[in-house]
Amino acid sequence: MTSRVRIVGRRVVVVAVVVLQVGLVARGYSSDQKQFAFQMFPESSTWRADVVRVTVDGRRVPIERQWSGYRWDELVRSRGLTYPSIRHHADAGLANQLAFLDAALDWVADNTPRDRQTRYLEAKVTSWHNADPPRVEVLRSHPREGAG
Amino acid sequence: MNAAAVSAAPRVRGVTAAFDEMLGRPVSMRALALLRALAGPAVLLHLQPFLSDAWDGRIYSDAFYEPYAGWYPEAPRTLYVGLLLLAAVAAVAMSVGLLTRLATATTFLIVAYNLFLSTTHFHNNRAYLVVVLGLLAVAPCGRELSLDAWIRRRRGRPALDLSAPAWPLWLLRFECTAIYAASGLSKLVDPDWFGGTVTWQRVVQSRDQLHAWHLPDWAVSVLTNRSFHTGAAKLIVITELFIAVGLWRRATRYAAVWVGVVFHVAIGVSASVQVFSYLGIAALAIWAVPSARDRVLRIDPTAPRQRRLGAVVRGLDWLARFRVEPASSGSRLEVVDRDGTTICGASAVALALSRLPLTAWFALPALLLPAVRRGRREQTTVSGAANTPSDP
Repeated sequence: MTSRVRIVGRRVVVVAVVVLQVGLVARGYSSDQKQFAFQMFPESSTWRADVVRVTVDGRRVPIERQWSGYRWDELVRSRGLTYPSIRHHADAGLANQLAFLDAALDWVADNTPRDRQTRYLEAKVTSWHNADPPRVEVLRSHPREGAG
Repeated sequence: MNAAAVSAAPRVRGVTAAFDEMLGRPVSMRALALLRALAGPAVLLHLQPFLSDAWDGRIYSDAFYEPYAGWYPEAPRTLYVGLLLLAAVAAVAMSVGLLTRLATATTFLIVAYNLFLSTTHFHNNRAYLVVVLGLLAVAPCGRELSLDAWIRRRRGRPALDLSAPAWPLWLLRFECTAIYAASGLSKLVDPDWFGGTVTWQRVVQSRDQLHAWHLPDWAVSVLTNRSFHTGAAKLIVITELFIAVGLWRRATRYAAVWVGVVFHVAIGVSASVQVFSYLGIAALAIWAVPSARDRVLRIDPTAPRQRRLGAVVRGLDWLARFRVEPASSGSRLEVVDRDGTTICGASAVALALSRLPLTAWFALPALLLPAVRRGRREQTTVSGAANTPSDP
């Protein structure tokens, strides 16, 4: 004989999973991050970015050049961000891709303690949403503490 | 309480009771046991890049990553690598069915933990893998196709009940179709997708790859033609939605499974989707009717061809569709279907092969051949069996 608790528990778990899944699918239409929304191959959009370090003396140094023993392609190895100057497909959509690039700028700014020169990182992004004309925008990391 | 509410109450109770009965109904766990065995390699493939990095002395936190939440615990390096190794060992144990429940739960917990460590770890195929592992972990799917069952038999202990409450299976079916439905719907409502712009641009962007595949010029020309994609995109959307809906309907289930296999193979060949295609095809096993050995294959053991078919069915009947029984010498090969229909000869061979996971995709179209359909109809008439549609 199945206990009442077990029956109700089963019911609650099943309904909760279904509601959660439907909610996550719905959330995928409004969020840059689309976890469990299962929007596969959503766009043909592409993007590229010129990422520079803006130093305390105002220089703009491309991240393709090593600095303080750091290399961008070692610091950022995932989500198609390793070589930002090359035009890439935004495989999970442009908004998702640029959200990751923005987060990567912040992460690099926070995790390069030997670098005393960089005030912030900046990415000048050119993006092509599907067949739309290119759009240019600038993303910046937060200002680094202790620079200079 | 008003009168309408009073009259609605028994109806609500009835619906709730029916829902509870559906969730608690004991069904065969065979399909989940098979999926469990197939999920192990998917986990190993999924873990491979993480383990490869760990082998080179790198883990996720050595490069850009983004936690979902500050409170989420991050294991120290050694422990993290140890967890990855433990997940790999657990995945193997899960696949072979050794300490199955523990192994499956361990695999699920570590794979899920790793997925939620960073937003950068997220991919749809990994999400699906976590969903599958989570539901396998709550289902008692280690009582067959497992070393646990074998060890139990060797020790002379009675076999455990092979059926269990159906709710993990129903939930997995829901998740399986939610993926196709969500994917298809997102494309349907996006004019760029439904109009063909997205697929056309992707193919044009990948033109070099087309040439690398040594496709003939006319094929490249068709694939990069804008007009072709106006139709192709709609076909893709309809395919995804058909799989999502078709799997639920008995009349269309075989077709949906067949199309699903083609769909996943096409994705696996044309795109980098990690374990998605493998897992997607493996998960189609859950659409088998959750009852075991309810068809009979009768073979004449003295007839070499029939004996060979019997061996094939015994070896490849991973979903336990058939009981193979000997028939008297000189008998024709026959299959007694779930509804009592007896089918003989070529029709029986086609039916048997269409119910085995490895041969189903090839054999299912044979069931549409007029001769095979006629064979089934005639036998139904002769046997006078109930002519209800056969469950998958």
